[in-house]
Amino acid sequence: MSAMRLTGYADRFGVHPGDTIKFYVNCDGPSEYKAEIVQMINGDTNPRGPGFIEKPVAGSLDETLPGRKQIIHSGSYGYALDAKPLQVESFTIQCWIWPTTPKTHPKYWKHGSQGLVTKWIDDKGYGLFINPEGHVEVRVNGTKLASPTPLRDHAWHFVAATFDAKTGELILYHEPQIQYALDPVVEPVSTTVSEAIIHTPAPVALAAYTESMTDDPLAQSSMPAGVTFAGKYNGKLDTPRICKVALSRLEIETMKLGAQPGLTERRNSGPTGALSEVIVAAWEFSEGIDTIVAKDCGPYRFDAQLVNLPTRGMTGHNWSGTVFDWKEAPKEYGAIHFHDDDVDDARWEIDFEWTVPADCKSRFFAAKLTTPEGDEDYIPFWVVPRIGEEQSKIAFMVPTISYMAYANEHVACNAGGAELFVYRVPIMQHQNMFLAEHREYGGSIYDTHTDGTGICFSSRLRPILSIRPKYDHFLAQAPWQYPADLHLIYWLETMGYEYDVFTDEDLTYDGLARLENYNVIITGSHPEHNSGTQLDALHNYTQRGGRLMYMGADAWYWVHSFHPAYDDKGRGVVTEMRRCESGIRTWRADPGEYYHAGTGELGGMWRYRGRYLHSVAGVGMSSEGFDISSYFSFTPDAKNPRVSWAMDGIDYDEPLGNFGLVGGGAAGLELDIVDTTLGSPPHTLTVATSAGRHTEAYLLVMEDFGFNQQGLDGTTHPRVRGDIAYHETPNGGACFSFSSIAYCGSLPWNNCDNNISRLTKNVLDRFMVDGPLPPPPAEEIKYRGRADY
Amino acid sequence: MESIPKKGTKEREDMIREHKECTESMKGVAGFSILKCETPGDTTVVTGGVHEHPHLKRVLQRMRGESVAGKYIIICTKVEEEWRIAKLSGIRGVPPEIVSDKVYTNEQDAQHDIFLLRLEELPETAGFPEHYTEGWKRRDDNWPVT
Repeated sequence: MSAMRLTGYADRFGVHPGDTIKFYVNCDGPSEYKAEIVQMINGDTNPRGPGFIEKPVAGSLDETLPGRKQIIHSGSYGYALDAKPLQVESFTIQCWIWPTTPKTHPKYWKHGSQGLVTKWIDDKGYGLFINPEGHVEVRVNGTKLASPTPLRDHAWHFVAATFDAKTGELILYHEPQIQYALDPVVEPVSTTVSEAIIHTPAPVALAAYTESMTDDPLAQSSMPAGVTFAGKYNGKLDTPRICKVALSRLEIETMKLGAQPGLTERRNSGPTGALSEVIVAAWEFSEGIDTIVAKDCGPYRFDAQLVNLPTRGMTGHNWSGTVFDWKEAPKEYGAIHFHDDDVDDARWEIDFEWTVPADCKSRFFAAKLTTPEGDEDYIPFWVVPRIGEEQSKIAFMVPTISYMAYANEHVACNAGGAELFVYRVPIMQHQNMFLAEHREYGGSIYDTHTDGTGICFSSRLRPILSIRPKYDHFLAQAPWQYPADLHLIYWLETMGYEYDVFTDEDLTYDGLARLENYNVIITGSHPEHNSGTQLDALHNYTQRGGRLMYMGADAWYWVHSFHPAYDDKGRGVVTEMRRCESGIRTWRADPGEYYHAGTGELGGMWRYRGRYLHSVAGVGMSSEGFDISSYFSFTPDAKNPRVSWAMDGIDYDEPLGNFGLVGGGAAGLELDIVDTTLGSPPHTLTVATSAGRHTEAYLLVMEDFGFNQQGLDGTTHPRVRGDIAYHETPNGGACFSFSSIAYCGSLPWNNCDNNISRLTKNVLDRFMVDGPLPPPPAEEIKYRGRADY
Repeated sequence: MESIPKKGTKEREDMIREHKECTESMKGVAGFSILKCETPGDTTVVTGGVHEHPHLKRVLQRMRGESVAGKYIIICTKVEEEWRIAKLSGIRGVPPEIVSDKVYTNEQDAQHDIFLLRLEELPETAGFPEHYTEGWKRRDDNWPVT
């Protein structure tokens, strides 16, 4: 099995002709590798299809480059650089913590101590930790003092430590917020330390401790470069403070109030005049929740840089349960949840660049990396025309937010239950095996963090091994997302269409301007994850006469936003999503944690923000199942002259798509239906349906029922079906929805000579013409109800 | 709850035979289910399997709901060529471990062999009170999603 010694990523997904794209490569072992640029045509290796196809590119790179290892320093933390006030002789450190993995399995990938608030390296310095046995611990140089009582996971504890340099007395307080009936009373513990704190240039670290400060090239991708951190903490940290004297327990209690600047006349910068004289730092995570800076309200402004994007907007130790939006009561959201597998940016060195030729076609491309020993990786990217320089009448909207949501997905490996929903034993590919070992590459928004809490961010500045050709996904046992969308690209190429491509990022930032010079927009097979401005732009486009071909299912489902703290690194670097109270959820956000940290908007399903899925292209998700696919049949609506042109060359009675490279049929995986009560326009025509043909692995979506009951599967429930649908939009526009993720997998069948290919061609040929579509017959102009015709 | 069928019973042998026939019929399908393709490799008409054998369906669901530590999984070791049976570690950062020397040349046969392994390994009363552990209080018993 290949060990994946080559991995890499680019600085962007979309690049304009004439611009330069940069590539970052880890080559772990081989002394050199070859880099080329290729055009991607088909990524599916299934022998029943056309096979893997790539094309050479004019003006490609053809370089042999020296191999070097590059690593990801994952796990989130905060740091403030060393400064004299931090080099205290005595101290009080205090904070609230909600640890999620105080104790880990000895084989756990980061088993060992966890740092809470530390200025400590190699037995020099001071700090609060959790020791490998799961007890809170204070360290002065090499002296360790631990609480006799272990920490309870998923519970708040107040912890504090004081050290008096004059007496050498070191005291540790561990005070659980919740006391159960049989809990012992946890008394403070103390010891005497006979030496002074040894100071080093190590920074103060929040949720970690400094491991090394080195010139090692592998440490340069840490932040700050050359300073590596260990003991990445899993859990919430709230209101940490450092004072330069050993406070009494009463003073510690008062110090919980923090620096409280702004009332200097009465008490200087502190909860009392006396305490204001000893504060070194008092971080308030409730400020700047939409940033990656942890604000220090103390006198020295030791604002901590947050690295690898820990989760903010998290309920604090004082959350009241009466406010659910952090913007309304930020002081109840003074917690940051750190995870030892967070990653915001691999921060690798550039290995090579490619300047896109000015006359380059807008297409799917990839940097292809190979070694003579058989190592291989592809780094996909897209050449996107500038607005006003469109090259075609057709544009393919690459669902990159959805690709990011699924980036480096671990569900088959993490989740015992994966087998239940795929209805077979999942198959893992070598990408999955690599990721199972290399947790530092981060997970997907479908996964839970290594501490079991949901992943709500995904960065594209890391190798994303799921956006690869030759990759079958366990959900489909076939291509999914990127390689599945290549089925459609293969079809466009084979049928001889000229097309442009652009990404979700382009549309999110450019709005309608990105769409309006095209006659037709084609989606990917599963554009599930969307920004609000993207939905706005699609609505505006179809309203003004644009044509939309929705080539899949389960789209327009989840609320996404790009985190503004990364705007300086490019478009759409980090996407955020929360899995709230409904929808298909592989994890569920905790109460009070439904609002995005980056934009402050309510997360969850667009449906629960009043943007029904069905309103975008006429259909919305109704069921999913992952074992095998089925096929469609035309319905009487197909004979309506408004849409009967779509049947040209196809018999009304023939099975539509009872073949294919995804599940064996065109109707499968996830399926959308027409529902005029959920936003399908009342004049929508259901052209074809797969009703009655799905297996018991297919289940109705949970947002469509309120009461658990039998009969929700494909063998019994009428809404477990896909509906291929058509409707007109104003000004000669229209939407045609194919309503199945598996649909595009049937296009390449028999060298694209099949009825799914024919149906798609009929629609595309009509939709791509200049000017408005022909008007419908006069008798079809009539007012229709939603539930009552 | 459905019991795992006893060794040597006709019920168990029938279940194994049905599972095997479904597995064989799925060869060539870019997907998989314990259902029988009327035409091998073609999902136009599927019958039998979990749709017509409720005991087989429930036994399979019991097996599929096993907890993650030590759970069987299939690894594709050479794209479109080789597959192996492995077990999940249940520990983050510890990848699945291949547990059998057998190398499969299609992606279906391992499904059947895992079914046989589980029939051997699961006690008849798995999931009943005599198998209670402390873990039932903290989700070790559940069908975890991730």
